Amino acid sequence: METEVIVQNVSMEFERAKDVPDSMKELLIKKLKGTYRPETFKALDNISFTVKKGEVAGIIGTNGSGKSTLLKIISGALIPSSGRVYVDRKKVHLLTLGTGFDPELTGKENVYLNGAMIGYTKSFLDQKYKEIVKFAELDGFMDTKVKNFSSGMVSRLGFAIATAGDSPEILILDEVLSVGDMFFRKKSEERIKKMIHGGSTVLIVSHSTSVIRNNCTKAIWIEKGKLKACGNPDVVCDTYEKMGK
Amino acid sequence: MQLSPKTKQYAFVIQQLTSREIKRKYARSYLGIVWSVLNPLLSMVVLSLIFSQLFRRSIENYPIYYLTGYLLWQAFTGATTTAMTTLADNKALLLKVKFPMELFILARVYTALLNLGYSFLAYAIMLAVFRITLRPTFIFFPVFVFFLFLFTLGISYLLASAYVFFGDIKHLYSVFLTLWMYCSAIFYPAEQLTGPIRIVIDNNPIYILIHCLRKAVLSGLLPTFFEWAGIVFWCVGSYLLGRYIFKKNRNTIMQKL
Repeated sequence: METEVIVQNVSMEFERAKDVPDSMKELLIKKLKGTYRPETFKALDNISFTVKKGEVAGIIGTNGSGKSTLLKIISGALIPSSGRVYVDRKKVHLLTLGTGFDPELTGKENVYLNGAMIGYTKSFLDQKYKEIVKFAELDGFMDTKVKNFSSGMVSRLGFAIATAGDSPEILILDEVLSVGDMFFRKKSEERIKKMIHGGSTVLIVSHSTSVIRNNCTKAIWIEKGKLKACGNPDVVCDTYEKMGK
Repeated sequence: MQLSPKTKQYAFVIQQLTSREIKRKYARSYLGIVWSVLNPLLSMVVLSLIFSQLFRRSIENYPIYYLTGYLLWQAFTGATTTAMTTLADNKALLLKVKFPMELFILARVYTALLNLGYSFLAYAIMLAVFRITLRPTFIFFPVFVFFLFLFTLGISYLLASAYVFFGDIKHLYSVFLTLWMYCSAIFYPAEQLTGPIRIVIDNNPIYILIHCLRKAVLSGLLPTFFEWAGIVFWCVGSYLLGRYIFKKNRNTIMQKL
Protein backbone atom coordinates (compact mmCIF):
# COMPACT_ATOMS: atom_id res chain seq x y z
CA MET A 1 0.00 0.00 0.00
CA GLU A 2 1.07 3.49 -0.79
CA THR A 3 2.02 5.77 2.07
CA GLU A 4 0.03 8.96 2.07
CA VAL A 5 1.31 10.89 5.06
CA ILE A 6 4.81 10.66 6.44
CA VAL A 7 5.64 12.54 9.60
CA GLN A 8 9.35 12.38 10.18
CA ASN A 9 11.04 13.47 13.42
CA VAL A 10 8.80 16.49 13.72
CA SER A 11 9.46 18.86 16.59
CA MET A 12 7.75 22.13 17.19
CA GLU A 13 9.11 24.73 19.51
CA PHE A 14 7.38 27.86 20.57
CA GLU A 15 9.04 30.78 22.17
CA ARG A 16 7.19 31.25 25.36
CA ALA A 17 8.22 33.65 28.02
CA LYS A 18 6.64 33.10 31.42
CA ASP A 19 4.21 35.81 30.49
CA VAL A 20 4.33 36.59 26.82
CA PRO A 21 4.45 40.33 26.14
CA ASP A 22 1.32 41.24 24.24
CA SER A 23 2.18 44.82 23.68
CA MET A 24 5.18 46.82 22.67
CA LYS A 25 5.05 48.68 25.94
CA GLU A 26 5.37 45.45 27.90
CA LEU A 27 8.13 44.12 25.69
CA LEU A 28 10.05 47.36 26.02
CA ILE A 29 9.70 47.49 29.79
CA LYS A 30 10.69 43.86 30.13
CA LYS A 31 13.70 44.26 27.88
CA LEU A 32 14.83 47.30 29.80
CA LYS A 33 14.41 45.58 33.12
CA GLY A 34 16.14 42.54 31.71
CA THR A 35 13.32 40.25 32.71
CA TYR A 36 12.48 39.24 29.16
CA ARG A 37 13.74 35.71 28.96
CA PRO A 38 11.84 33.72 26.42
CA GLU A 39 11.82 30.01 27.08
CA THR A 40 11.37 27.51 24.39
CA PHE A 41 8.46 25.26 24.90
CA LYS A 42 8.31 22.00 23.03
CA ALA A 43 4.79 21.42 21.78
CA LEU A 44 5.91 18.42 19.78
CA ASP A 45 9.01 16.40 20.46
CA ASN A 46 10.43 14.20 17.75
CA ILE A 47 7.22 12.70 16.43
CA SER A 48 7.33 10.17 13.60
CA PHE A 49 4.62 8.05 12.11
CA THR A 50 3.15 7.17 8.75
CA VAL A 51 -0.37 6.79 7.52
CA LYS A 52 -1.01 4.58 4.54
CA LYS A 53 -3.51 5.23 1.82
CA GLY A 54 -7.00 4.23 2.89
CA GLU A 55 -6.12 4.01 6.56
CA VAL A 56 -8.19 5.70 9.22
CA ALA A 57 -5.82 6.98 11.85
CA GLY A 58 -7.06 8.31 15.15
CA ILE A 59 -4.95 10.77 17.09
CA ILE A 60 -5.66 10.70 20.78
CA GLY A 61 -4.29 12.57 23.74
CA THR A 62 -5.31 14.81 26.61
CA ASN A 63 -5.95 18.52 26.21
CA GLY A 64 -2.87 20.51 25.37
CA SER A 65 -0.88 17.48 24.35
CA GLY A 66 -0.07 18.88 20.95
CA LYS A 67 -2.77 17.30 18.81
CA SER A 68 -3.93 20.51 17.19
CA THR A 69 -0.38 21.66 16.58
CA LEU A 70 0.27 18.41 14.80
CA LEU A 71 -2.81 18.90 12.62
CA LYS A 72 -1.76 22.41 11.74
CA ILE A 73 1.62 21.11 10.69
CA ILE A 74 0.13 18.35 8.57
CA SER A 75 -2.31 20.70 6.89
CA GLY A 76 0.49 23.12 6.18
CA ALA A 77 -0.59 26.03 8.33
CA LEU A 78 2.55 25.76 10.45
CA ILE A 79 6.06 24.83 9.49
CA PRO A 80 7.77 22.62 12.09
CA SER A 81 10.97 23.77 13.80
CA SER A 82 12.67 20.57 12.75
CA GLY A 83 11.75 17.41 10.95
CA ARG A 84 9.62 17.04 7.86
CA VAL A 85 6.14 16.12 6.81
CA TYR A 86 5.62 14.52 3.44
CA VAL A 87 2.08 15.00 2.25
CA ASP A 88 0.42 16.37 -0.84
CA ARG A 89 -1.15 19.54 0.56
CA LYS A 90 -3.48 19.84 -2.39
CA LYS A 91 -5.26 16.68 -1.32
CA VAL A 92 -5.67 17.64 2.33
CA HIS A 93 -9.05 18.77 3.50
CA LEU A 94 -9.26 19.91 7.09
CA LEU A 95 -12.65 19.77 8.70
CA THR A 96 -13.24 21.71 11.88
CA LEU A 97 -16.48 23.07 13.16
CA GLY A 98 -17.79 26.29 14.53
CA THR A 99 -15.44 28.44 12.52
CA GLY A 100 -16.13 30.80 9.73
CA PHE A 101 -19.74 31.58 10.36
CA ASP A 102 -20.83 35.15 10.57
CA PRO A 103 -23.72 35.56 13.02
CA GLU A 104 -25.00 38.70 11.31
CA LEU A 105 -25.51 36.96 7.96
CA THR A 106 -28.30 34.62 6.98
CA GLY A 107 -27.86 30.88 6.69
CA LYS A 108 -27.78 31.09 2.93
CA GLU A 109 -25.17 33.83 2.87
CA ASN A 110 -23.08 31.81 5.28
CA VAL A 111 -23.20 28.74 3.03
CA TYR A 112 -21.59 30.78 0.28
CA LEU A 113 -19.12 32.55 2.55
CA ASN A 114 -18.06 29.36 4.28
CA GLY A 115 -18.02 27.41 1.05
CA ALA A 116 -15.76 29.98 -0.59
CA MET A 117 -13.39 29.68 2.35
CA ILE A 118 -13.18 25.94 2.08
CA GLY A 119 -12.43 26.24 -1.59
CA TYR A 120 -15.70 25.50 -3.36
CA THR A 121 -16.43 27.41 -6.52
CA LYS A 122 -19.57 29.43 -6.97
CA SER A 123 -21.06 27.07 -9.54
CA PHE A 124 -20.38 24.11 -7.26
CA LEU A 125 -22.21 25.80 -4.41
CA ASP A 126 -25.15 26.77 -6.64
CA GLN A 127 -25.42 23.17 -7.62
CA LYS A 128 -25.07 21.66 -4.15
CA TYR A 129 -26.97 24.28 -2.19
CA LYS A 130 -30.23 22.34 -1.91
CA GLU A 131 -28.44 19.19 -0.90
CA ILE A 132 -26.56 21.01 1.85
CA VAL A 133 -29.76 22.49 3.27
CA LYS A 134 -31.48 19.14 3.15
CA PHE A 135 -28.68 17.32 4.89
CA ALA A 136 -28.49 19.93 7.63
CA GLU A 137 -32.30 19.70 8.01
CA LEU A 138 -32.58 23.46 7.86
CA ASP A 139 -35.31 23.93 5.25
CA GLY A 140 -37.10 27.19 5.92
CA PHE A 141 -34.35 28.57 8.14
CA MET A 142 -31.93 29.65 5.50
CA ASP A 143 -33.09 33.27 5.38
CA THR A 144 -32.75 33.58 9.14
CA LYS A 145 -29.64 35.15 10.57
CA VAL A 146 -27.25 32.60 11.98
CA LYS A 147 -27.17 34.40 15.33
CA ASN A 148 -30.73 33.13 15.81
CA PHE A 149 -29.73 29.53 15.14
CA SER A 150 -29.27 27.08 17.96
CA SER A 151 -25.75 25.77 18.39
CA GLY A 152 -26.84 22.38 17.09
CA MET A 153 -28.18 24.00 13.92
CA VAL A 154 -24.92 25.83 13.38
CA SER A 155 -22.82 22.72 13.69
CA ARG A 156 -25.18 20.74 11.46
CA LEU A 157 -24.85 23.37 8.78
CA GLY A 158 -21.09 23.43 9.24
CA PHE A 159 -20.87 19.70 8.86
CA ALA A 160 -23.13 19.69 5.81
CA ILE A 161 -21.06 22.33 4.03
CA ALA A 162 -17.74 20.79 4.90
CA THR A 163 -18.68 17.36 3.66
CA ALA A 164 -20.58 18.48 0.57
CA GLY A 165 -17.59 18.05 -1.70
CA ASP A 166 -16.44 14.88 -3.33
CA SER A 167 -14.50 12.66 -1.01
CA PRO A 168 -11.18 14.38 -0.53
CA GLU A 169 -8.15 12.17 -0.73
CA ILE A 170 -6.90 13.06 2.72
CA LEU A 171 -9.51 14.10 5.23
CA ILE A 172 -8.57 15.53 8.61
CA LEU A 173 -11.35 15.65 11.18
CA ASP A 174 -10.86 17.76 14.25
CA GLU A 175 -13.43 16.72 16.87
CA VAL A 176 -16.34 16.68 14.48
CA LEU A 177 -17.95 13.36 15.19
CA SER A 178 -19.82 14.56 18.22
CA VAL A 179 -22.16 16.99 16.54
CA GLY A 180 -25.88 17.43 16.93
CA ASP A 181 -28.40 15.05 18.43
CA MET A 182 -28.01 11.28 18.26
CA PHE A 183 -29.91 11.02 14.99
CA PHE A 184 -27.75 13.56 13.27
CA ARG A 185 -24.67 12.00 14.75
CA LYS A 186 -25.62 8.70 13.20
CA LYS A 187 -26.18 10.37 9.87
CA SER A 188 -22.88 12.20 9.99
CA GLU A 189 -20.99 9.10 10.99
CA GLU A 190 -22.52 7.35 8.01
CA ARG A 191 -21.39 10.11 5.74
CA ILE A 192 -17.86 9.94 7.08
CA LYS A 193 -17.90 6.17 6.68
CA LYS A 194 -18.95 6.62 3.09
CA MET A 195 -16.01 8.92 2.55
CA ILE A 196 -13.72 6.39 4.17
CA HIS A 197 -15.03 3.68 1.88
CA GLY A 198 -14.62 6.06 -1.04
CA GLY A 199 -10.90 5.56 -0.56
CA SER A 200 -10.06 8.61 1.51
CA THR A 201 -7.24 8.51 3.97
CA VAL A 202 -8.59 9.89 7.21
CA LEU A 203 -7.01 11.43 10.28
CA ILE A 204 -9.35 11.80 13.22
CA VAL A 205 -8.50 13.84 16.27
CA SER A 206 -10.51 13.12 19.34
CA HIS A 207 -10.22 12.64 23.05
CA SER A 208 -13.04 10.16 23.03
CA THR A 209 -11.74 6.62 22.89
CA SER A 210 -15.08 5.28 21.65
CA VAL A 211 -14.86 7.38 18.50
CA ILE A 212 -11.37 6.04 17.88
CA ARG A 213 -12.33 2.44 18.59
CA ASN A 214 -15.38 2.57 16.33
CA ASN A 215 -13.83 4.22 13.34
CA CYS A 216 -10.11 3.80 13.19
CA THR A 217 -7.77 1.19 11.87
CA LYS A 218 -4.83 2.71 13.68
CA ALA A 219 -4.36 4.88 16.71
CA ILE A 220 -1.67 7.35 17.57
CA TRP A 221 -1.33 8.53 21.14
CA ILE A 222 0.44 11.77 21.84
CA GLU A 223 1.07 12.95 25.37
CA LYS A 224 2.83 16.19 26.31
CA GLY A 225 4.28 16.43 22.83
CA LYS A 226 5.73 12.95 22.84
CA LEU A 227 4.59 9.96 20.88
CA LYS A 228 3.47 7.41 23.47
CA ALA A 229 2.04 4.64 21.36
CA CYS A 230 1.08 3.91 17.82
CA GLY A 231 -0.69 0.89 16.47
CA ASN A 232 -3.83 -1.16 17.02
CA PRO A 233 -6.62 1.15 18.21
CA ASP A 234 -7.89 -1.22 20.90
CA VAL A 235 -4.48 -1.71 22.43
CA VAL A 236 -3.61 1.98 22.30
CA CYS A 237 -6.97 3.04 23.71
CA ASP A 238 -6.65 0.54 26.54
CA THR A 239 -3.29 1.89 27.64
CA TYR A 240 -4.57 5.44 27.25
CA GLU A 241 -7.54 4.70 29.50
CA LYS A 242 -5.33 3.00 32.09
CA MET A 243 -3.19 6.11 32.33
CA GLY A 244 -6.20 8.15 33.31
CA LYS A 245 -6.97 5.93 36.24
CA MET B 1 -7.80 37.46 -20.62
CA GLN B 2 -8.44 33.98 -19.38
CA LEU B 3 -8.46 33.70 -15.63
CA SER B 4 -6.98 30.62 -14.08
CA PRO B 5 -9.33 28.63 -11.81
CA LYS B 6 -7.20 29.62 -8.85
CA THR B 7 -7.49 33.33 -9.51
CA LYS B 8 -11.19 32.88 -10.11
CA GLN B 9 -11.56 31.14 -6.77
CA TYR B 10 -9.60 33.91 -5.01
CA ALA B 11 -11.83 36.50 -6.63
CA PHE B 12 -14.87 34.59 -5.36
CA VAL B 13 -13.42 34.52 -1.84
CA ILE B 14 -12.71 38.25 -1.91
CA GLN B 15 -16.17 38.95 -3.24
CA GLN B 16 -17.74 36.88 -0.45
CA LEU B 17 -15.62 38.49 2.27
CA THR B 18 -16.35 41.95 0.94
CA SER B 19 -20.06 41.42 0.69
CA ARG B 20 -19.98 40.19 4.27
CA GLU B 21 -18.27 43.37 5.45
CA ILE B 22 -20.71 45.59 3.62
CA LYS B 23 -23.78 43.66 4.73
CA ARG B 24 -22.57 43.68 8.29
CA LYS B 25 -21.87 47.36 8.45
CA TYR B 26 -25.50 48.34 8.13
CA ALA B 27 -26.97 45.03 9.25
CA ARG B 28 -29.23 46.50 11.91
CA SER B 29 -30.43 49.51 10.02
CA TYR B 30 -33.64 50.04 8.18
CA LEU B 31 -32.23 51.70 5.09
CA GLY B 32 -29.41 49.17 4.80
CA ILE B 33 -27.13 49.67 1.85
CA VAL B 34 -28.54 53.16 1.11
CA TRP B 35 -26.52 54.32 4.11
CA SER B 36 -23.35 53.64 2.20
CA VAL B 37 -24.11 56.67 0.05
CA LEU B 38 -26.21 58.60 2.55
CA ASN B 39 -23.59 58.54 5.29
CA PRO B 40 -20.79 60.24 3.32
CA LEU B 41 -23.30 62.57 1.69
CA LEU B 42 -24.64 63.79 5.03
CA SER B 43 -21.19 64.28 6.49
CA MET B 44 -20.15 66.12 3.37
CA VAL B 45 -23.16 68.41 3.66
CA VAL B 46 -22.36 69.17 7.28
CA LEU B 47 -18.72 69.80 6.54
CA SER B 48 -19.52 72.06 3.62
CA LEU B 49 -21.90 74.09 5.75
CA ILE B 50 -19.21 74.62 8.34
CA PHE B 51 -16.27 75.08 6.08
CA SER B 52 -17.88 77.22 3.41
CA GLN B 53 -17.43 80.12 5.85
CA LEU B 54 -13.76 79.41 6.49
CA PHE B 55 -10.73 80.14 4.34
CA ARG B 56 -13.00 81.73 1.77
CA ARG B 57 -10.50 84.23 0.59
CA SER B 58 -7.46 82.00 0.31
CA ILE B 59 -9.05 78.95 -1.33
CA GLU B 60 -11.43 78.89 -4.19
CA ASN B 61 -14.24 76.35 -3.89
CA TYR B 62 -13.22 75.53 -0.38
CA PRO B 63 -15.85 72.81 0.29
CA ILE B 64 -14.68 70.82 -2.72
CA TYR B 65 -11.07 71.45 -1.76
CA TYR B 66 -11.86 69.97 1.61
CA LEU B 67 -14.05 67.11 0.39
CA THR B 68 -11.48 65.89 -2.13
CA GLY B 69 -9.00 65.47 0.66
CA TYR B 70 -11.62 64.01 2.96
CA LEU B 71 -12.60 61.40 0.37
CA LEU B 72 -9.10 60.00 -0.03
CA TRP B 73 -8.25 60.32 3.65
CA GLN B 74 -11.37 58.43 4.72
CA ALA B 75 -10.64 55.63 2.29
CA PHE B 76 -7.09 55.37 3.55
CA THR B 77 -7.87 55.36 7.25
CA GLY B 78 -10.91 53.13 6.79
CA ALA B 79 -8.89 50.54 4.93
CA THR B 80 -5.83 50.53 7.15
CA THR B 81 -7.65 50.47 10.48
CA THR B 82 -9.93 47.61 9.47
CA ALA B 83 -7.18 45.68 7.72
CA MET B 84 -4.96 45.95 10.77
CA THR B 85 -7.11 43.65 12.88
CA THR B 86 -8.16 41.30 10.12
CA LEU B 87 -5.70 38.50 10.88
CA ALA B 88 -6.62 38.51 14.53
CA ASP B 89 -10.36 38.70 13.72
CA ASN B 90 -10.21 35.73 11.41
CA LYS B 91 -7.85 33.69 13.51
CA ALA B 92 -9.97 30.57 13.56
CA LEU B 93 -10.50 30.62 9.84
CA LEU B 94 -6.90 31.16 8.93
CA LEU B 95 -5.88 27.74 10.16
CA LYS B 96 -8.55 26.09 8.13
CA VAL B 97 -8.36 27.74 4.77
CA LYS B 98 -6.13 26.86 1.92
CA PHE B 99 -5.80 30.21 0.25
CA PRO B 100 -3.08 32.69 1.19
CA MET B 101 -3.92 34.88 4.17
CA GLU B 102 -3.17 37.99 2.15
CA LEU B 103 -6.67 37.61 0.78
CA PHE B 104 -8.15 38.67 4.12
CA ILE B 105 -6.15 41.89 4.04
CA LEU B 106 -6.95 42.39 0.39
CA ALA B 107 -10.65 41.93 1.07
CA ARG B 108 -10.70 44.60 3.77
CA VAL B 109 -8.83 47.07 1.58
CA TYR B 110 -11.11 46.24 -1.30
CA THR B 111 -14.12 46.86 0.93
CA ALA B 112 -12.77 50.30 1.74
CA LEU B 113 -12.30 50.85 -1.98
CA LEU B 114 -15.94 49.97 -2.61
CA ASN B 115 -16.96 52.36 0.14
CA LEU B 116 -14.86 54.96 -1.62
CA GLY B 117 -17.00 54.23 -4.66
CA TYR B 118 -20.18 54.94 -2.68
CA SER B 119 -18.66 58.09 -1.23
CA PHE B 120 -17.70 59.07 -4.75
CA LEU B 121 -21.42 59.16 -5.63
CA ALA B 122 -21.94 61.56 -2.76
CA TYR B 123 -18.92 63.53 -3.92
CA ALA B 124 -20.36 63.73 -7.43
CA ILE B 125 -23.57 65.16 -5.99
CA MET B 126 -21.56 67.77 -4.12
CA LEU B 127 -19.67 68.65 -7.31
CA ALA B 128 -22.99 69.24 -9.02
CA VAL B 129 -24.33 71.30 -6.11
CA PHE B 130 -21.31 73.60 -6.19
CA ARG B 131 -21.52 73.77 -9.99
CA ILE B 132 -17.98 72.61 -10.60
CA THR B 133 -17.30 72.28 -14.31
CA LEU B 134 -15.69 68.98 -15.03
CA ARG B 135 -12.23 69.22 -16.50
CA PRO B 136 -10.83 66.63 -18.90
CA THR B 137 -8.20 65.78 -16.26
CA PHE B 138 -11.03 64.40 -14.14
CA ILE B 139 -10.65 61.10 -15.95
CA PHE B 140 -7.40 60.63 -14.02
CA PHE B 141 -9.43 60.06 -10.87
CA PRO B 142 -9.17 56.25 -11.07
CA VAL B 143 -5.42 56.49 -11.59
CA PHE B 144 -5.01 58.27 -8.26
CA VAL B 145 -7.34 55.82 -6.61
CA PHE B 146 -5.28 52.97 -7.97
CA PHE B 147 -2.09 54.41 -6.47
CA LEU B 148 -3.86 55.06 -3.20
CA PHE B 149 -4.93 51.41 -3.26
CA LEU B 150 -1.33 50.24 -3.67
CA PHE B 151 -0.09 52.49 -0.91
CA THR B 152 -2.89 51.46 1.42
CA LEU B 153 -2.32 47.79 0.74
CA GLY B 154 1.35 48.09 1.64
CA ILE B 155 0.61 49.88 4.91
CA SER B 156 -2.14 47.36 5.68
CA TYR B 157 0.25 44.44 5.30
CA LEU B 158 2.63 46.08 7.75
CA LEU B 159 -0.05 46.95 10.28
CA ALA B 160 -1.77 43.58 10.09
CA SER B 161 1.48 41.72 10.74
CA ALA B 162 2.47 44.06 13.56
CA TYR B 163 -0.95 43.85 15.21
CA VAL B 164 -0.65 40.09 15.63
CA PHE B 165 2.34 40.66 17.91
CA PHE B 166 1.49 43.94 19.55
CA GLY B 167 -2.11 44.81 20.36
CA ASP B 168 -1.23 48.36 21.29
CA ILE B 169 -0.34 49.19 17.69
CA LYS B 170 -4.02 49.98 17.38
CA HIS B 171 -3.87 52.83 19.86
CA LEU B 172 -0.51 54.07 18.66
CA TYR B 173 -1.75 54.08 15.11
CA SER B 174 -4.84 56.11 15.92
CA VAL B 175 -2.66 58.77 17.52
CA PHE B 176 -0.30 58.63 14.60
CA LEU B 177 -3.23 59.01 12.20
CA THR B 178 -4.25 62.26 13.87
CA LEU B 179 -0.75 63.58 13.40
CA TRP B 180 -0.73 62.32 9.84
CA MET B 181 -4.05 63.98 9.14
CA TYR B 182 -2.74 67.37 10.23
CA CYS B 183 0.26 66.83 7.99
CA SER B 184 -1.93 66.12 4.98
CA ALA B 185 -3.39 69.60 4.64
CA ILE B 186 -6.89 68.29 4.36
CA PHE B 187 -8.70 71.35 5.62
CA TYR B 188 -6.18 74.15 5.32
CA PRO B 189 -4.07 75.45 2.45
CA ALA B 190 -0.59 73.94 2.57
CA GLU B 191 0.85 77.16 1.15
CA GLN B 192 0.33 78.88 4.49
CA LEU B 193 3.00 76.77 6.13
CA THR B 194 6.73 77.18 5.87
CA GLY B 195 9.82 75.54 7.29
CA PRO B 196 10.32 71.90 8.25
CA ILE B 197 6.62 71.14 8.52
CA ARG B 198 6.19 72.18 4.90
CA ILE B 199 8.88 69.72 3.86
CA VAL B 200 7.07 66.98 5.74
CA ILE B 201 3.81 67.84 4.05
CA ASP B 202 5.33 67.99 0.60
CA ASN B 203 6.83 64.54 1.04
CA ASN B 204 3.74 63.02 2.56
CA PRO B 205 2.41 60.51 0.03
CA ILE B 206 -1.18 61.06 1.06
CA TYR B 207 -0.79 64.80 0.62
CA ILE B 208 0.80 64.36 -2.80
CA LEU B 209 -2.16 62.26 -3.92
CA ILE B 210 -4.70 64.67 -2.46
CA HIS B 211 -2.90 67.66 -3.94
CA CYS B 212 -2.73 66.09 -7.41
CA LEU B 213 -6.37 65.07 -7.30
CA ARG B 214 -7.40 68.57 -6.26
CA LYS B 215 -5.46 70.01 -9.16
CA ALA B 216 -7.05 67.55 -11.56
CA VAL B 217 -10.58 68.27 -10.34
CA LEU B 218 -10.44 71.98 -9.68
CA SER B 219 -7.84 73.45 -12.02
CA GLY B 220 -7.54 70.89 -14.80
CA LEU B 221 -3.84 70.36 -14.21
CA LEU B 222 -1.91 67.12 -14.31
CA PRO B 223 0.80 66.27 -11.76
CA THR B 224 4.30 67.48 -12.52
CA PHE B 225 7.07 65.03 -13.24
CA PHE B 226 8.28 65.21 -9.63
CA GLU B 227 4.81 64.59 -8.32
CA TRP B 228 4.42 61.53 -10.53
CA ALA B 229 7.80 60.31 -9.38
CA GLY B 230 6.80 60.83 -5.74
CA ILE B 231 3.52 58.98 -6.22
CA VAL B 232 5.09 56.01 -7.93
CA PHE B 233 7.97 55.87 -5.46
CA TRP B 234 5.81 55.92 -2.35
CA CYS B 235 2.98 53.74 -3.56
CA VAL B 236 4.94 51.01 -5.28
CA GLY B 237 7.54 51.18 -2.53
CA SER B 238 4.96 50.80 0.21
CA TYR B 239 3.32 47.90 -1.58
CA LEU B 240 6.57 46.02 -2.14
CA LEU B 241 7.89 46.63 1.36
CA GLY B 242 4.61 45.62 3.00
CA ARG B 243 4.38 42.48 0.94
CA TYR B 244 7.99 41.56 1.59
CA ILE B 245 7.74 41.95 5.36
CA PHE B 246 4.44 40.11 5.44
CA LYS B 247 5.79 37.16 3.47
CA LYS B 248 8.91 37.02 5.56
CA ASN B 249 6.98 36.87 8.80
CA ARG B 250 4.21 34.61 7.54
CA ASN B 251 5.28 31.66 9.59
CA THR B 252 5.85 33.53 12.84
CA ILE B 253 2.44 35.13 12.40
CA MET B 254 0.80 31.73 12.11
CA GLN B 255 2.60 30.53 15.22
CA LYS B 256 1.55 33.54 17.20
CA LEU B 257 -2.08 33.19 16.16
